[in-house]
Amino acid sequence: MSGRIRWLGLTFGCLAISAGSARVAAQGPAGFDHARHARVFPSCTACHPGAENPDTTLWPDPVRCTACHDGMTMPRISWQPPAAPHPSNLKFVHDLVPLMTRATPQGPQPLGCRDCHVPAGAGPMDVHRGLPERCIECHAPGASHLTAPDTVCSTCHLPLVRAASLRPADIAEFPVPPSHNTPGFVTGGVHGRLATGTSQPVAPSCATCHARDFCLTCHVDAPERPAIQALEPDPRARAIVVHLPRPPSHDDPSFLTRHGSMVRANPQQCATCHTRESCVTCHAPSQSVGLALHPAAPDRAIGAQPRRVPPPSHRENFVGRHASVAAATPATCAGCHVRSDCLQCHRPNAAGPAGYHPVGFLQRHPAAAYSRETRCADCHNTGSFCQACHATAGIVSNGPLRAGYHDASRTFIAGHGQAARQSLESCTACHAERDCLTCHSALGGRRFNPHGPGFDAQRLRRKNSQMCTVCHGSAIPDN
Amino acid sequence: MRLLPLAALLLPLTAAAQGYRVRVDTRWQTVAYRGVALDSIPVADTVSSPGGGPVSSDGFAVRCPPGAAYCTFFRPGAIRRGGPATSTVEASAWVFGIRGLSLRATGRVGVDLGTADVWPGTNPAVQLLEGYAEYAGRRVTTRLGRLIIPSRLGMTGFDGAGLTVRDATHGIELQGYGGWGLARGVALPATSPALNPLDDFQPLQRQLIVGAGGGWTSALADARVEYQREVDPHARKFVSERIGFDGALRPARDVRVSGGADYDLAAGWWGSAEAAVAYVTQRVRGTLGARRYCPHFDLWTIWGAFSPVPYRSLQASVAYAALSRFELRGRYERYRYDEAATETPLFNAKRDGWRAELGVTATPVPAWTFDAGYQREYGPGASVAGTAAAITYQPSRRIRATLLGSSFDRPLEFRFNDVGVRTFGLDAQFATSERFRIGLTAHHYSEAHHRPDAAAFDWNQWRASLRVVMAFGDAADLRGLPPSIQMLPGDRSARTPQ
Repeated sequence: MSGRIRWLGLTFGCLAISAGSARVAAQGPAGFDHARHARVFPSCTACHPGAENPDTTLWPDPVRCTACHDGMTMPRISWQPPAAPHPSNLKFVHDLVPLMTRATPQGPQPLGCRDCHVPAGAGPMDVHRGLPERCIECHAPGASHLTAPDTVCSTCHLPLVRAASLRPADIAEFPVPPSHNTPGFVTGGVHGRLATGTSQPVAPSCATCHARDFCLTCHVDAPERPAIQALEPDPRARAIVVHLPRPPSHDDPSFLTRHGSMVRANPQQCATCHTRESCVTCHAPSQSVGLALHPAAPDRAIGAQPRRVPPPSHRENFVGRHASVAAATPATCAGCHVRSDCLQCHRPNAAGPAGYHPVGFLQRHPAAAYSRETRCADCHNTGSFCQACHATAGIVSNGPLRAGYHDASRTFIAGHGQAARQSLESCTACHAERDCLTCHSALGGRRFNPHGPGFDAQRLRRKNSQMCTVCHGSAIPDN
Repeated sequence: MRLLPLAALLLPLTAAAQGYRVRVDTRWQTVAYRGVALDSIPVADTVSSPGGGPVSSDGFAVRCPPGAAYCTFFRPGAIRRGGPATSTVEASAWVFGIRGLSLRATGRVGVDLGTADVWPGTNPAVQLLEGYAEYAGRRVTTRLGRLIIPSRLGMTGFDGAGLTVRDATHGIELQGYGGWGLARGVALPATSPALNPLDDFQPLQRQLIVGAGGGWTSALADARVEYQREVDPHARKFVSERIGFDGALRPARDVRVSGGADYDLAAGWWGSAEAAVAYVTQRVRGTLGARRYCPHFDLWTIWGAFSPVPYRSLQASVAYAALSRFELRGRYERYRYDEAATETPLFNAKRDGWRAELGVTATPVPAWTFDAGYQREYGPGASVAGTAAAITYQPSRRIRATLLGSSFDRPLEFRFNDVGVRTFGLDAQFATSERFRIGLTAHHYSEAHHRPDAAAFDWNQWRASLRVVMAFGDAADLRGLPPSIQMLPGDRSARTPQ
C-alpha cells in the first residue's frame, strides 16, 4: 500500500512540475527542450514510463511525438530513443526509487522526479540527468559533490574499472575535485596521503575516477606501492592526462650539483618518478647511488626523462683545463665520454679543419708553442709533426748554425742559453741534437757545459748513462 | 695507388660477430703553404742598406759571419699546395658468445692528394691508433692489443695488455698495464723513420713500458696516483720513470678544488703541476689557479741534460651570464720562468709573459648565436694580439652554418717576422640522418709579413675542407651503455645508428 502511495506521490509531483510556470529554458540531456513542452506533457512518467515501471522503457515512444509533429501542425522530427544506456558510472537504477526517501520537516517523504532531476529552487521543467548535488543533499549533507567524503563516492558510483560503458572521452571529461588543485597535491605527497589515508588499501574515492594505469603515468615505483597495486588496471584511466611538473627542488640552480646527496638522503622520493635509467642518462652505470632506484622494466612506467646537459664546469675554457680533472676522475668522465672522444683531439688529424684549435691557429701557434699553454706533445709528436712541417717550411736547421734565421739580434747565437732553457721544446722543433753538440760537448767544439739548475748528474748516470756518453764518451764525470 | 687504401676504408665493413658498428670519418683539405728558403751570396756581392747593414742586390738582409766568404739569407719559399685526406675508421664487434667481450679498432688512412707532400702526419699512410680485444665486466676490464692509456703523464700508447679492477661500491679502481711502447703523440714506434725528419739520433728498439695506477672516488673528493716506467731494452737503460698525483675536492656546493703534479724520478725534478679553485653557479663561473709547466724529455735524447727550466703562473678566469642568453667572459694568466742560470750578457730573452682574453656570447633567438672575443698574448719567443667573431645559425641539430672572421698580429722575438693575418670564412654542416653527415668549410687567409727588407711578402690563400661521416652497424653494443653515450650530440651523434 505504501508503495502505491509513493508512486502516486511521484505522479502527482510530476504533474505539479508540469503545471508550474516553467520559464527556465532548460534542456534535457538529449537535447529535448523540456521547458518548451511544459504545457504538453503533464507528468514525467507520461513520457518516461520506465522511471516508474522497470519493465517498460525509460524513453517515450517516438510515435507519440508525431501526434503534433506530423509535418503540418508541427515539423516532423526524426528522434529515436537511444539504443544503449547513457554511459555512466552510476550505480543508480530507478528500481531503487521506491526504497528511497527524502528527509523533510514533516518526516521522510517519497522521492519525486524533481528531487533528483531538477536543481534546488529551479523551475519544475529545468530538467537534467541525475544531479549529484541533489544526491549529496541526502547522502552527505553540507558537502558538495566533489568535496564529499571518500566513503560517499561508492554509494552512487562504480569504480572506474566496473563502469564499462564509459568511454575514454567520457573519462577525460571527469570534473576535477578541488582537492586536486591544492598546493602540493601532485608533488608534495598530498595525493599519496589521501590515497592511503583510509582503512582500505586505497581510498575508494580514488578508484571512482582512477585505475592503476593512471598512476603509472608518473609512478615508476608503482609495483612497490600497495595503494597503487590495490587499484585494478584499466587502460582507459590514461584518458585523464596529467603532466608531472618538475618539483620545486629541481628548479634550484644548484640542483645539478646537489642532487646526488638528495638521492642518498631519500632515494624513495626520487624513485617515485625516476628509474635507474635516469641516472645513467648522465652517470656511469657503476654509480652505486643509482642502485637505490628501480631499473626500468616493461611493467614499470617510463617516468621522468631527464635531459642531459653539460655540467656548468664544462663551459668556458674547459677544454683547455680539463686535464687535471680528467686525470683525477676518469670514472666521472667515463659516465658520458668514450675513449674515441679523447682521441678526436689527442691525435692530430692532418686533414682536419679547426676543431680543438681555433681557426687560424697555424698562423698564430708560435705564441702558444713557445710558452706551452698546454702540453703540445700529448697530441703532436715533435718529430713527425713539428719537425716535418718546419722542414717543409725551410726553417729547420740543416746546415751551418750561423745562417741568420734568428735575425732579431745579431748576438742571438751567443746568448741563446736563456731562451733555450725556457723553451727547449720549441728549439727541438727545428734543431737536431747535433746542432747543439757543435758547442755543447765535452768531446769537442767549444765544450760549453749545458747543465743547469736541477741537474742531477749521478741520478741521470744511474738511470741512463748512455745519454751521458753522447757528450762525455766513456769518461763520464761523477758530477 | 695512394688512393687505394683510402677507398678501401671508405667502404662499410661487416663483421661476422653478433654485432658490429663502424664509423668512418673522412676529411679532405686543400691548403697552400709557403715558408722560407736558405740562400747565400758572396760577401763581395752584398751592398749596404740605408741603415748600414749588408743586403743582397735584390734587397734581402744578409748575415755575413766574420771571416766567411759567403753571406746567408732567407728568401720566400716556393708555394706548395697540399691536399691532405684522412679517413678514420672506428670499428667495434662484440658478443662472440661471451658477454662483455669485444674487439675494437681505430685506424687512420692518410694521404696527401696535393702536388707536394707538404702536410705532416700523413706518413705512413696507414696507422692503427688503437686495436684491442676487450673483456669488460662489472669489476674487471682487461684489454689486449694496441692501447692508449690517458693519464696526467700523457696519452701513453703501447702494444700490450692492460687490466683494470674496480670496486664501485667503495669508489676504488686499480690499473696496471705493460707492453712495447709507442712514441709520444703518435701511433708509431719511436724507431719509425717517419719520426726523424732531421736525421737525428733514434733508439734502436722500442721501449718497454709498464705502469700502474690507483684511484679513489667519493662524493667529497677524488684522488689518483700513477706510476710509469719506460726502459730501452737495447741499452737496458731507463727512458723515463715518472709518478703523478691528481686530486679533486668538493668542499662546498659550488666550489671545486683540483690539482695535480708529476715528478720525474729519472731526472730527479718535479715536472708540471697545477692547482685551481673553481666556483661554478648557473650565472657565474670563476676559476683561480696556479700552474707550473716543465717539459719532459725521454732519456734517449740529450735534451734533458740542458736543464729546461719551468715557468710558474697564476691564472684566473670568470664568466658571467648577465642574462640567460648573454654571457661575458674573461681570462688572464701571468707567468714567469725560473732563473735559467745562463751567462749570456750579449742577449737577454724575455723571462715573463701574460695572456688574456675577453669574449662575449649572445643568443638573442634560439637559432642564432653571436660570439666575439679579443685575445692578447705577450711572452718570450712570440706574441699575438687579435680579435675573432662568429655568427652561427643552427635551426636544428642537423643544420649549422657559421660565418666567421678574425684579425690578429703575431710578432716574433727572435726574428724579424711580424705577421698580420686576416681571416674570414664559412663553416657549414648538414646531416641527412644520424648515419650520414657532411661538413664544408671555406676560409680565406690574408697573411702579410712585415720586415724592413725584401724578405717581407704577402701570402693570401683559400683553404677548403670537406668532411663526411658515415656510420654503420646494428648498435647492439650501445644497449649496455648509458643513454648519455648513445645520444651524444654533435660529432658523436653518428655513433647512434637508427
